[in-house]
Order: sequence, then C-alpha cells, then structure tokens
Amino acid sequence: MKKKVIATLLTVAMTALVLAGCGSNKGSAPVSGDTQNVQEQAGGEESAADPAEDAADAADETSGEVTIKLFSSLPDRKNGQGLVEQMIIDEYMAANSNVTIEVEALDEEAYKTKFKAYAMDGMPDVVSIWGQPSFLDEVLDAGVLAELNEDDYAEYSFIAGSLDGFKKDDKLYGLPRNTDIMLFYYNQKMFADNGWEVPATYDDLMALCTDIQAAGFTPVAMDGGDGWPMACFLTDILVQVAGIDYADIVSNAVATGDFGAPEIQQATQILVDSANAGMFQVGYDSQDYGTTMNLFTNGQAAMYCMGSWDCSMALNEDIAPEIRENIRAFTMPVVSGGKGGANDIAAWNGGGYAVSANSQVKDEAVKFLNYMYQPDKLSKYGWENGVGLSAQDQTAYLTGSETELQKQVMDILKNATSISGTPINDCGPSAFKTAIENEIQGVSNGSTSVEDFLAAIGAACE
Amino acid sequence: MKKLYSNKPVIFSLVLPGILVFLFAVLAPICLSVYYGFTDYSGMGEAHLVGFDNYVKLVHDSAFGRSLLNSLFLAIGFICIQHPIAIIVAAVLDKLQGKAEGVFRCIYFIPNVISVAVIAYLWKFIYNPDFGLLNNVLSAFGYQGKINWLSQQNAIWSVLVVLIWHGFGWGMLIYYTGIKNIDPVLYEAASIDGAGWWTTFFRITLPLMKPVIQINVTMAIISALKQMETVYLLTNGGPNNSTQFAANYLYQQAFKAFKYGYGNAIGVVFIIICILATVTLNTIFRDKQKA
Amino acid sequence: MKEKENKIGKVVLWIVLIAVAAIQLFPLIWLVDFSLGSSNEMFTNGLLIIPEKIRWDNYVKAFVDGNFLHYLRNSILINTLAVILVVIISIMAAFACQRMKWKLNGFVSTLLVLGMMIPIHATLLPNYKIYSALHLTDTVWALLIPYVAFSMPQGMFLMTGFIQALPKELEEAAVMDGCGIYRIVFQIVTPLLKPSIATVAIMTFLNNWNEFMMASTYLSTPTWKTLPFSVLEFTGEYSSNYAVQFAVMALTAAPAVIVYVILNKHITKGVAMGAVKG
Repeated sequence: MKKKVIATLLTVAMTALVLAGCGSNKGSAPVSGDTQNVQEQAGGEESAADPAEDAADAADETSGEVTIKLFSSLPDRKNGQGLVEQMIIDEYMAANSNVTIEVEALDEEAYKTKFKAYAMDGMPDVVSIWGQPSFLDEVLDAGVLAELNEDDYAEYSFIAGSLDGFKKDDKLYGLPRNTDIMLFYYNQKMFADNGWEVPATYDDLMALCTDIQAAGFTPVAMDGGDGWPMACFLTDILVQVAGIDYADIVSNAVATGDFGAPEIQQATQILVDSANAGMFQVGYDSQDYGTTMNLFTNGQAAMYCMGSWDCSMALNEDIAPEIRENIRAFTMPVVSGGKGGANDIAAWNGGGYAVSANSQVKDEAVKFLNYMYQPDKLSKYGWENGVGLSAQDQTAYLTGSETELQKQVMDILKNATSISGTPINDCGPSAFKTAIENEIQGVSNGSTSVEDFLAAIGAACE
Repeated sequence: MKKLYSNKPVIFSLVLPGILVFLFAVLAPICLSVYYGFTDYSGMGEAHLVGFDNYVKLVHDSAFGRSLLNSLFLAIGFICIQHPIAIIVAAVLDKLQGKAEGVFRCIYFIPNVISVAVIAYLWKFIYNPDFGLLNNVLSAFGYQGKINWLSQQNAIWSVLVVLIWHGFGWGMLIYYTGIKNIDPVLYEAASIDGAGWWTTFFRITLPLMKPVIQINVTMAIISALKQMETVYLLTNGGPNNSTQFAANYLYQQAFKAFKYGYGNAIGVVFIIICILATVTLNTIFRDKQKA
Repeated sequence: MKEKENKIGKVVLWIVLIAVAAIQLFPLIWLVDFSLGSSNEMFTNGLLIIPEKIRWDNYVKAFVDGNFLHYLRNSILINTLAVILVVIISIMAAFACQRMKWKLNGFVSTLLVLGMMIPIHATLLPNYKIYSALHLTDTVWALLIPYVAFSMPQGMFLMTGFIQALPKELEEAAVMDGCGIYRIVFQIVTPLLKPSIATVAIMTFLNNWNEFMMASTYLSTPTWKTLPFSVLEFTGEYSSNYAVQFAVMALTAAPAVIVYVILNKHITKGVAMGAVKG
C-alpha cells in the first residue's frame, strides 16, 4: 500500500520536475553513490579494531573522496563540548585529506525534533544520541542505528556500566560521551560577599533562597521553558527522598502508569513549594537554555541548576572573569526525612554518538567514531577544555591545572555512594517524555495540581 | 479564432504545469495525510491501520481543544483590537496630505517585511522579565515589579500583541486603500451638511468600507487558524500548552512524541476546519452583500 | 471656535500617528541600539544605551559566522525562481481558464484556487515523507515546490481577474495576423499584465521571503538554507553573547527593510491591489 502510494507520487513528481525544469542545477548533489561504493570496498575489508592505525591507513588511501555528515546537538562550536567536537573533526580531516565532514548542529530541543524526522527516512552518517529509553527505545526498534562491535572498545577505558544505556539485547549501538551530574552552580564571590553558605539540607536551601531574594537577586536560574531541566531537578529531589530506591520506584511507575508513590508525590510537592516560594527567576517556565544560563553568568542569579556539562562556563571567554573564575558547584542537599544521603547523586551517562545503519559511508563513519573515542581525543580534550566528566577514565589526563570547578565535580563523583541513572523524564517512551516536560511547567507554576500532574504523566505511559 | 481558442492540446499544455503543482504539492500530501491519519505509524518502522482511533483520541485531546480555542482568541483579538485601531489610523492618515502620509505609511508597514524568525526572537527579548524592553519601559514609569509576560496566564496575550504588532501595517494598508477609493464627493457633501469628523467616519467611511472590512475579517480568522511560526519560536506552545496551535501541535506530535500517524490525523482535521471556516465566511459575507 | 477645534483635532491626529509609529519602530531601534554594545550592557535598566564603545565587530561576527552572504544568495535565488514560476504558471493557467473555450475551465480554475484554503503547515508531515522518498530533501526543490504551490493559487486568482479585465480586441487582431496561442499569451497578453505581474511577484515574495518552517524541516546542510537561518543558528552558537545575537537579527532584517524603504511606493501599491482583490 505504502509503496504504491509512493510509486504513484514518484511518477507524478518526475513529470513535474521535467516540466518545471528551469535551468537551475539540482541543488547540492550528494557525493555520487559510485565513489562511495568504491571507497566502502576499499576500506571495508579492514577491521576497525585499531582506530589509530585505521586513521593512518585512511590517510594513505586517496582512492576516493568521502563525505561524512555529522548531525550534532552542540551548536556552540567555540566553547565547551562543541569546541571539542570541532577540534577532533578538524584534526581528523587534516589527517585524512580525502574525508570531508559536514556538520549540522542544532540545540538539543530542535535537534531531537529533527532527529526524529531524519529517523523516518535516512539519517546523517554520525549522529548525537542519548542512551535513555525515551530517546533510544523507539529508535532502536526501528533499526536506524548501526550495531557496533563492543570488543573494539575494550581498550577505550569506558567506565563500568556506562555502555548499558546504549545497548539493546546485548548489542551495542552507541557510545556515551559524558558522565552527567546534576549540579547547583553558584557564584562563590556573591555568596562570600553576602555571607551566604552552601546549604546542607533542603530547608537550608529554602532559607538561603529567601535571603538571596531579599538581597535583590534571583536565587536559582532554572531553564523551565524546555521542561527537561526541571524534570532533572525533580529527579534530583526524588533521589534525596527515595535514596537508592529511586530507579525501582520510577521504573515501576512507568511500567504501571501509576505515579502515586508517596516518594514521587513528596518530591513533586517539594518542587511546587520551591517554585512557589520564588526559588526560580520570574518567567522561568518560558525561558530557554541560553537566557537562563546568561542570567547566572551575568550575575543576576546566585545559583544555576544544570548538568555538569556546563562546567566549561569556567573557561568561557564570553563570561566576565570575575564571574567565571568564581563558579563553584554543589549537589542537591539532603531532604529531611528522605532516604538519600549527601553522596547519593543524580547522575547518568546520557549523551553520546552513534552511526546510522543506512549510512552509505558506514565504515568511514565508524572509523571516525572510533577516532573520536580514542581516549586521548574526546575524553582528553574535553577535560582540557573544562567540560565535565567524560564516560571514560580520565585519570591519565589530570594535569593539576584544572579549574576549581572541575576538581569539585571530580570529587563529587569520587565520593558518590550511589548514582541514580536515567532521569525520570527519560525513563519512559517519548510520548511520556513529551507529556512530563509539558506538564511539569503547569504543576510548578501552580496551574495544575500535583494529583492531576501525576495522573497526566501516568496516562502518557500506556 | 474559435478553433484556435478551443484547441485541446494547447489548453492542456497551458494548464498542465499548474495542475501538476497542485497534484504533487497539495493533493498528494493531503491524500497521504488521510492515509497516515488512519494508522499508528510512529515515524519509523511499520504502520498499522487502526481505523478511527486517532480521531477518537483527538476529540478527547484537551491540548488540541486548547489550540482551537487559542485560534478563536487570536481571531477575536485581531477583530476587536487590531482592526479598529487600523481603521482609525487609516482614516486619520487619509486626512494628512503630502510627504508625511507616505512616511507614516512606510513606517507602519516595516515590521511586516521582517522575518518571523527575527520578530519572534526580538520579542523574546522584549518580554524578558529581567532585562526586557517592556519591563524597562514600565520601570521608567515607576513600576518596579517584574512582570512575567510569558507566564501561563499572560502568554497568549503576549503572542497576540506580537501578531498585532507584526501584522498591523498590512491591515492598515488595506483599509487605507479602501478609504482612498471612497468618492471624495461624498465627503464634500457631508462637510457641506456640517457633519464633523466622527459623524463622517461612522456615516460614510465605515459603511462604504464594508467589503474591505469583510475581506480583512476573513483574512484575520484564517491567519489566526493557520498560526504557527511565531508561536513555534516564541513559546513553542508553552507553558503547558497554553499557547498551543493546531499547526504547532501536529508538528510536535509527529516529530517530538513519535506519533506521526496522530500528527497526520490532526493535520486532516486542521485542513477540514480551515476549509469550513473559509467557505462559511464567504457564504455569510456573500449573502449579506446580496441583501 | 471652529478654527480652534480644528487645531486641537490636528494635534490629536498627529499624536495618534506618532504614537503608533513609535510603537511600530521602537523595538527595532532598541534592537539596533543594543546590537552595537556589549552583552553586559543588556542588563542595564535604561530604555536605550549609549554603548561605551561602538562594537562593529558584533556585525563582523554576524556577517562572517552567520554565513550571511551565502544565505542571502540562497534566499534571493529561491525567491526569484519561485516568483518566476508562479507568474508563468498562473498566467498560462489563468489564460486557459478565462479565455479559452473548454468544458472543464470552471472546474480547473476552482481547483487551482482551492489551494488558498489549505494551511501550508498541514502538508509539512506528508511532504517530508514524499520528499525524502524522492530524495528531494536538502535540495532546492524541497523549498521551491511548496513555495510555488502555495503562492500559485493566489497568483492564479489575481491573474484571472486581471485577464478578465483586458480588452479582447488586441487578441482578435493578433489572431487575424496569424499568431498562435503561445505567442498571444507570452507576447501580447503578458506585456499588458505588467502591473498585475508586479502585484503577484510582490505578494509571492512577501509570502516566501520570511518562511522558515519548511526550510528548517526539509533542509539539513547549509547549501540551500535561507536567511532566517542566520538567526536560528546564531542563537545556539552565540547563546552567551546577546549583542552578537542582536547584530545578526538586525542584519537579517536589513535587506528586506532596505528594499522595502526604497521601493515603498511600488510595494504598497502592489500589496493594496493584491490584498483588496484577494
């Protein structure tokens, strides 16, 4: 049925094209299929076991031009993670003169939308992915990502368990880039000047927020317009409330569609009370990522709630030195009566990369992927550029000249007694993710009750 | 002459490009939409026919209901706020002579030629509670609070303001043209009878502008229904669907929630609503003109 | 007495006009003003700033990193092509339906104009599917086809009206001289339609110049991306630098505004003609 429809359309279209032909050439013709096939045959024989050697080999092969399309969720190519990605791309292209890597970069929300559009029909060769059910389940079911050979990565020193989110039926489909930790970034100087202290309990945090407001600042900058950071925040609270039971409670709720567990109710109530008390900036529920971060980096907000990937703020030249040098971080303080301890943290291996199953330059793409993940590339450069923690062992690259912020984050991870795993919004299907990220705005700003919120997200699980 | 003008192959060759464009770019996608609207297709993998499931779900979908209400809100906003101002400004402008007239007309139309992408981002900044233009203007008048213009309660109004601002010049220009087409003799007669400006405006200008007003009202309602781009960039339907619109919602459902089939069902209903609205409006106005 | 009233009336009139003009223009002035400062100056409380130092380099960044010339070229190229196609197709079809004698002329004419009612965004999903099946995504066709398709009904509608108003005598004379239909359409009728063509062209341009939903869905590489993308890409790329974001917005808006101000009289006339008829 579907084929027939498309075939008919094809005929109509062909005629239309011929008739409407107007002298313009047919746009950017992709690299011709023939060349690619030749290249694939040439490179296809070799195993991808030793990426460094492969890269060298590829440089020798001048048999054909290869264009690898990289679809990235890092639009800022001059700072942090995006810079690291671009550095590696430039290096790879310099070492392999026949390879051109075209980057299309969109910010996370737009990226995910377009990724799904691509997933329908033909993806770029190398893509950013998230090793979480909300993102990966449907993608893997559709078989659009290429299987990777796990044995290839034995020497890549991935942290134990970090590949789990990227597997289905024990087959590996992607590689994690980061270890993400939910953090409160704070402005150390602002804290010292006003006599504020890092809160040890959630009640302290609430009291601190009152003080900060009284001083005329925004306590916490929160990217509520996007929905997911607030869901991560909720995850963070839930980890303090439920302790190590977090993962079980959430997966149980997603499976049954019943989010009535007292822990979830309590955590949501805490979120609502906090928002109600003015913990976040005015208009947090409609502001985007950049606006929120800028509120903090321009000294309007005393704290900023975001994942550890934003540690690169400390090295961002666009941020005034008196602020960027004073950025420090702490994790969610303990909730009184909660089962979580100070060292139970909300952290996960989320973002990463994968190769498209239907890529016409699959071997080249895998080769590039492996090159990126050589321990002295993503992981090392990331560390040197102040990006948070990678999903690989970074101890070899400690220079002692890291930013204070990096050292803090490293200690947080080192001292962690438990790690939460996937944040709540990413634990269910994508319809659930869409629902919770929309509804959480309503519950936090008081227009939806906690009960209605939990019922609505439960309904989206079926 | 007659033979030449009824030469079938020639006629065919003249209308063929138009028909092909219509078939390929309008009819074919609609047919495909109808088909996918009956499936549970997620966007990837297999599609299964599920009958009217999507449509049943749509009836109960509060976010979709909300987006239709929002369209209605916009349409009323255009008609009750934008158009009265546009008519009055057009009438006032008509009284001006010489260069100033052209200058004002030009200024009013400028926002219209600017890309929605720019407009939406610009207004995002204008609405920013911390450093946005609007709160700064208020604080210049002595109001110190921070108003959250894009909050759940305010957002739809804020969207309306942006659209009114963006489209004002267009509506004004059409009214202005309509006024210019009114026979000056009528005004002279009114002035001899001693009618003031307001009387002239209500007795002569408005009644004679009826057809133009009808066109503008139709366009306002249709454009309120079709609203997508400004909202997509300004609020993306949020907070919590409070600024959701049909076009944006179907896009979100298909490309964000992996419900391509459902998105297409929304698209089909959306098309039907647009056609119904256009036909109804045209019928109402045509009957009125006859009467 | 009367005179005094008149004076007051004049003052009120000017106040209204200037107030509306200020509302329409001030956001744009604000935009340009802040685009010349530094990002930190955003957070001052005044309405406008006098930048400590005028930073033209904001515009240099916007111009270079925003791929400005490339996107501008694409925008111009795609829009020009769309305009040409719309004009030619609608003249041909309108002539056939309006002037020539055949049974289905009314039906075809209605069919083609019907497209005006269809919301363009409802075709986003199915068209994406069609274009990717035909490998048209990320080519100029992915934009050109919908742009032409959704401007054609209006063009067709306007052209039908205009052709109807043309006197038939010229055509009759041409037939006497032995002209074929194609020559009549393109050499006799088309030149007579000049003002109408201008109207259709302006309407088509205004409709499509600022469009980006199609562009952002169907395109992936920068090869054919159009001007609005400068803004979209920049807000991600320079998310922490507001001043440069402002510069890129101002720069993106500039070509259309400049062209409009220069051709203001013609465009106004075209829009007025098109909109009142349409």
